[in-house]
Amino acid sequence: MSDESTGEDAADLAVSLRGDGDRSLPQETLEVDYVYEALAHARRRYLCYSLLEDTRPSLTELATEIVAWEDDVPEEAVTQRHRDRVSVSLYHTHVPTLVDAGVVAFDEVNGTITAAENADEVLAALIGIGGSLESQDDARAGGETDTEGGETDAEGGETDAEGGETDAEE
Amino acid sequence: MPKSDKTGPNGGDDPTVDRDSQWRQVVQRLYEPDRDGGLTAAIVFAIADAEGVAPTEVNSPPLYEAVDAERIEQALFGSETGETVREATGRVEFRYADYLVSVGSDGWVRVSEPTRPERP
Repeated sequence: MSDESTGEDAADLAVSLRGDGDRSLPQETLEVDYVYEALAHARRRYLCYSLLEDTRPSLTELATEIVAWEDDVPEEAVTQRHRDRVSVSLYHTHVPTLVDAGVVAFDEVNGTITAAENADEVLAALIGIGGSLESQDDARAGGETDTEGGETDAEGGETDAEGGETDAEE
Repeated sequence: MPKSDKTGPNGGDDPTVDRDSQWRQVVQRLYEPDRDGGLTAAIVFAIADAEGVAPTEVNSPPLYEAVDAERIEQALFGSETGETVREATGRVEFRYADYLVSVGSDGWVRVSEPTRPERP
């Protein structure tokens, strides 16, 4: 049932985007500029993700993590100069952008960021994008095994472990 | 359009910098997008040089309050990933603290200070 309603929603959206009929566009999704502004740079997405952690790292610590992640090196290998470059970009551009978007609040004293009023919405979008990318990957993986139908059948069998016999060796 | 009697791409109709006798360049720094990883850092490092402090000590106020460096980066240097080659030419100037900062599409970031106190 839920699949059907999702399908209808998608069809509705497609119709409204084509401009057929008199349907209005979903205003709420067209008016969340701050979500897109917040997520428009990889370093800001990293900062947003960091809000999900229990700890509140300082900008310097976050900068170290970001260099390690961007350059794919261990955190111990991050040079001070490189860390300073990223730390400066966080302090002077990325954090103020997120503050402007109402996503984080910056504590000047501790040098840490905390979630602000729009954080939940932005995190939901971020996690949603991650989810849809994953399901695309799944779909692609499924497509690749299409020619070997036997394999996908076997996988299906594994998931409902008890009833798996019906799939076996057919 | 009787705007200015000077010509050229950086012609004399720029109110901030045309009074060149009032500004003295103190630092210039070449920004290389592929190497430096972000225009914000290049600008702040140049200002730090001018002030004689560490880059992390340049903090009043955040550059964001003076200018959106990300947008300047996009306009002058294309995307940060460097996947596209754009041919925009020009220069953006803005005030930060007591300085006049200029960013050119050639990558030169220049910081100038006033040669005499501003009029009250």
